[in-house]
Amino acid sequence: MNNIQLNDRRFGFFFVAPAVVILSIVILAPIVIAIITSFYDYTLINRSLDNFIGLNNYFESIANKKFLHSTLVTITFVFFVVLFEFLIGFLIAILLNQVERFRNVYYFILLIPLLINPVVVGLIWRMFLHPQLGILNYLIGFIGIEPVNWLGDPQNAFITIIFVDIWHQVSFMIILLLAGLASIPEEPYEAARVDGANAFQQFRDITLPYMRPVIIITLLIRLIFALKTYDLIYIMTKGGPGDATDLISYYIYRSAFIGLDLGQAASMSVILLFIVCIIIYPLFKYMSRADE
Amino acid sequence: MNSKHIQLNSVTKKFQNNTVVNNVSFDITDNEFFILLGPSGCGKSTTLRMIAGLEEITSGSIIADQKDISYEDPKDRNVAFVFQNYALYPHMNVRENLSYSLKLRKITQIKIDEKINWVTNLLKIKELLDRKPSQLSGGQRQRVALGRSLVRDPIAFLLDEPLSNLDAQLRVEMRQELISLQKKLSKTFIYVTHDQVEAMTMATRICIMNQGEILQIGPPQEVYDQPNSIFVAKFLANPINNILKSNIVNKNNEIFIETLGINIVNKKLINLSQVFFSIRPENIYLESYDRDKTIKVEIIQIENHGHELLMTSKLINNSQLLYFRISKENKITLGSKVTLGFNVEDLLFFDITNNRRIK
Repeated sequence: MNNIQLNDRRFGFFFVAPAVVILSIVILAPIVIAIITSFYDYTLINRSLDNFIGLNNYFESIANKKFLHSTLVTITFVFFVVLFEFLIGFLIAILLNQVERFRNVYYFILLIPLLINPVVVGLIWRMFLHPQLGILNYLIGFIGIEPVNWLGDPQNAFITIIFVDIWHQVSFMIILLLAGLASIPEEPYEAARVDGANAFQQFRDITLPYMRPVIIITLLIRLIFALKTYDLIYIMTKGGPGDATDLISYYIYRSAFIGLDLGQAASMSVILLFIVCIIIYPLFKYMSRADE
Repeated sequence: MNSKHIQLNSVTKKFQNNTVVNNVSFDITDNEFFILLGPSGCGKSTTLRMIAGLEEITSGSIIADQKDISYEDPKDRNVAFVFQNYALYPHMNVRENLSYSLKLRKITQIKIDEKINWVTNLLKIKELLDRKPSQLSGGQRQRVALGRSLVRDPIAFLLDEPLSNLDAQLRVEMRQELISLQKKLSKTFIYVTHDQVEAMTMATRICIMNQGEILQIGPPQEVYDQPNSIFVAKFLANPINNILKSNIVNKNNEIFIETLGINIVNKKLINLSQVFFSIRPENIYLESYDRDKTIKVEIIQIENHGHELLMTSKLINNSQLLYFRISKENKITLGSKVTLGFNVEDLLFFDITNNRRIK
């Protein structure tokens, strides 16, 4: 490396330094503190790091039935949410990709749910779904359906939460997948048409292979965010009824600020972080390969 | 009659109010190397894509193999198409690219292997079979794209500027290969290009288009020697043709062409007062002694093409430009005045109002 390159590099560091400092304070430091805390018997009643207990918090977490239950609920939630958001999103993206008039209008309408704060989404839907006052029960009354207790019944509440999350997040899928579809060149389709491919064969042999990287990245990003779903639960069900919608993030929050056992909660956060890291890894690898 | 010829009847294509192909009709016989030639935006590619079914026609009809295919799906037309930018399937290797159309037609694996074997030998791409398109050079991609169309047994091969993305050397090689390929296969080729050299060297017939309309159809030498309009005379020229304007005066039985200062006999020009005429640079000679007529010019530019010199000169009496070619041994300097010779039979006359040839 010669002098000029070295200078350039120093100059580059100079530019990224503020961002690095801020990110260290707001992200890296809390993670480090959480990891440290997870090795101590640290509660909000006794806030001191003098009782080192090693991996005990982790053993307790893994043995904790409630933690395992919310893990299971989370996995089910993530699976259905990501699956349906992907299927619906892909279908709508394919349809929208063929639209030429008012394309921007549709884009804008699609973006609206994404622009709304999750807390507001939760509040809006809680009102829509209110058993006595909600507009949904009022409307289905017209076609003779008895009022449904959307959030009060354990089975219903879980499905309702999934539905609201789909409503809120499906646009994310549509927009990313639509961008992917729009970037596929026209010629391979034309070649396939001349080669004798019907619409399904074109989809299978051209669209899907072209879309593979976009699909992978979209699914992974959505998966990670779905794993961390918290605000929707906080507003709509508080994990209930019972523990029917007790997603992992919400359970961790409860352990920390209702159970007051911060060390325990920290160990569960670290486990969640670990899982997320495992999921991110292929994404990270894929993106760094795309750079080359 | 088991002719497979392709016929276009008054085919028109409009995009909204924009007519890109206007009332185009031609008849391509079996095993012809038919070239659609024209500048970019003249509608030649659109015409080809309409034959393939990639663009829908607005009116008219397309007949192939005695069947009206005007509104049929591309997959039911049994034509093969070679795209300008190859349009290979990037996620499939060469073997899969070649066999895709056969697989869709549910042809047995043994037959597919036979076909691929045949086509890879023909195009010398055997060693590329397991590579992905991204691992191929431009020339190799072109071969694979060609191979993909050859494995089928279509009624015609449609090629849309297949050589325009190749470098000059490769283009010449592929040109010759395509000519021999077409002879070997005895198949109809319909070929779109804007390169008049490709058209001249490869075609059995050239169809020259401009602004969505056909100007002239004929064998290469015929359209070269007998262009029916100024556009054709200009377009089929390498590198350039002389088109000049002149006042003409009718004196007794002779016509005086003012620009050239010569008298000729031509009954068709009797009632005209102005005319365009063309004379090709290769029909103008520095040695004027055994030519019909002469003209004095001043040299204003010399372009060295290596094997010859392209001279740009100015007519002394009215300063219109005249191009001519001389061998590189000649040592004519810029600004010198020379006398050039030409033959009257090489002059072609065009109507000043509609640019059509006066025959």
